[in-house]
Amino acid sequence: MGAEPQFVDAPTGVADAEPLLSIRDLVTEFKTPDGIVHAVDGVSYEVFPGETLGVVGESGSGKSVTVMSVLRLIPQPPGRIANGQILLDGTDLLQLSDADMRKVRGKDVAMIFQDPMTSLNPVLSVGDQLAEAILVHNDIGEDAARKRVVELLELVGVPNADQRFDQYPHEYSGGMRQRAMIAMAMANQPKILIADEPTTALDVTIQAQVLEVLQRAKQETNAGVILITHDLGVIAEMADRVVVMYGGRVVETGTVDEIFHSPKHPYTLGLLSSLPRPDVDMERLVPIPGQPPSLINLPSGCSFHPRCHLGEGRQTCRTEIPPLFELGPMRASACHFHEEMEDEIHRVESTTGTAIEGDEA
Amino acid sequence: MLNYALRRLLITIPILILSTFLTFGFVSSSGDPLADLRQQPNITQEQIQRVREMRGLDDPFPVQYLRWVEQIPQGGFGEYLISPRPIWPDLQRVMGNTLQLVVAAELIAFAIAVTLGAVSAKKQYSVFDYSTTTLSFLGFSMPSFWFALLLQVGVVIIYRWTGYRIFPIANLSSPNPGTGMAFWLDRAHHLVLPIASLAIFSIASYSRYMRASMLEVMSSDYIRTARAKGLSERKITTRHMMRNALIPTVTVAALSFGTLISGAIVIETVFGLDGMGRYFINVIGRRDPYPIMAWLVIVGFFLMLANLLADLLYGYLDPRIRYE
Repeated sequence: MGAEPQFVDAPTGVADAEPLLSIRDLVTEFKTPDGIVHAVDGVSYEVFPGETLGVVGESGSGKSVTVMSVLRLIPQPPGRIANGQILLDGTDLLQLSDADMRKVRGKDVAMIFQDPMTSLNPVLSVGDQLAEAILVHNDIGEDAARKRVVELLELVGVPNADQRFDQYPHEYSGGMRQRAMIAMAMANQPKILIADEPTTALDVTIQAQVLEVLQRAKQETNAGVILITHDLGVIAEMADRVVVMYGGRVVETGTVDEIFHSPKHPYTLGLLSSLPRPDVDMERLVPIPGQPPSLINLPSGCSFHPRCHLGEGRQTCRTEIPPLFELGPMRASACHFHEEMEDEIHRVESTTGTAIEGDEA
Repeated sequence: MLNYALRRLLITIPILILSTFLTFGFVSSSGDPLADLRQQPNITQEQIQRVREMRGLDDPFPVQYLRWVEQIPQGGFGEYLISPRPIWPDLQRVMGNTLQLVVAAELIAFAIAVTLGAVSAKKQYSVFDYSTTTLSFLGFSMPSFWFALLLQVGVVIIYRWTGYRIFPIANLSSPNPGTGMAFWLDRAHHLVLPIASLAIFSIASYSRYMRASMLEVMSSDYIRTARAKGLSERKITTRHMMRNALIPTVTVAALSFGTLISGAIVIETVFGLDGMGRYFINVIGRRDPYPIMAWLVIVGFFLMLANLLADLLYGYLDPRIRYE
């Protein structure tokens, strides 16, 4: 195979643009019977206007909790945002009053959730729920809201939108519900559109359609998109830049090309070589050994070290938490030995029997 | 919705017919209705034989059943076994009184329980939550007749101290209740204690259901969606949480309507109210099968009505039910 991968071009000049959303040193913790869990432990990343930022990581890596913290939708208690800043256009969302925060939710920052089957209220019509999102932030009449909702439903490809307005969620298919959720999210032209595993609960055949609708929503609203997924295929398809998370921390950032072709963290490499890829013909897959870490009892030092081949039990890995090393503009890795990644890639390549780097242009 | 209501209404007809059949079957198989009469020394064998023939007690079961059931749609349940008085006027009177008591108790209990349940769920683990949970545990465990007696005693104690009678402790009306508005105010005043004693158990039970279903709804995904839209907490509670949480509570309340009627039997006895409960105990004592059957059919009818109402309410609250 070795076909040319289809990557979305990164927006030019991203590096010198002002970030739209900037998450700085975010710490979100949960109180549990077994102790305090740092679900998010010092996460920082930025979203620039018009870009799609992919966030990848295993379950429990803190990717969802990070964006839930952005909207301040962490249930409190047991959750608590213990530290950090979330700057939207320079305003720290964590400092806003509850009333001001409500004005941000659904207006400046909108979210699409993972499971469209349960994310809509079963006893209210879909149209009413969408209209509600418009009415809460705009001073318009019900009729005008209905008209706008029908337009939105048409835009996301719901057929017979006018009749479907009055139908209930159980009369919609999963794909249609997720379209409605996307319509709801784009209703107020948000600056940031967060999609938390938007296709995970859907049929494979529907996934591509929903991603297309998401792409359209992004163009329509010109929002910066945070796309959370554990599906690297979705990342390759949609993202401009990628943030890789592990154990509540960011372990690598880079453009989608950099992440896929020259990963600078052994965990990223592990993700890439453990999944079949359409653009690279692998003879065999290499799984990441072990289990995702327990957040209550994170391994000392680099939390990936017990599963890491590169570290090989080196002292530094076991004792020192690696900082996020800046490797260039918008490029960073949290590996003590990121310089050795070149050799590590070659080692993995000899096992998988193919070039991880693919046909780099 | 109309279609659903009609369908639901039609189903009740065969159930009603079945209930009359079962009622008649069970009551008529429970022994000789004239057994008491036979033991009275001043009643002759001929007199007993005359009653047997008059009421057709020797006819085959189906004939007896049909003769009895024929009267019901004509607006009556026949006459008492021995005295030739019609049953219906008596039954109508006690039914009216009991319905006032039971319906008022049910509505008040439901309103209070829904509020208590919702608030204690919203303030889970607060002092308010702990107190309502404890109180509902108490209300659950208290026999209603005992609670009724407590209330009566309380009123008497207050009377002794202050010389003021806050509530009547017996009867449905004063000796001269007046007419119109004055009559109903007097009636309401008399019903306060009976309603309170009857409602306490329902409040305890419904509020726990409401609390539980409210908690479940509060942690559901669509509430998170509603929050992410930027809705106010008030709007989320009234528009998104309450309606969903009411669905199971409505079912429980409707199904408990029967418990309320059986509770009324006890409460009416304690407060000396001229209601269905006292009437039932009376006619059972007399071993008269006709008013017993009439009573059972009426109660069955009301239970079915309560279920029908619950189903309609359920269909109104939950669109998924309506279209099935």
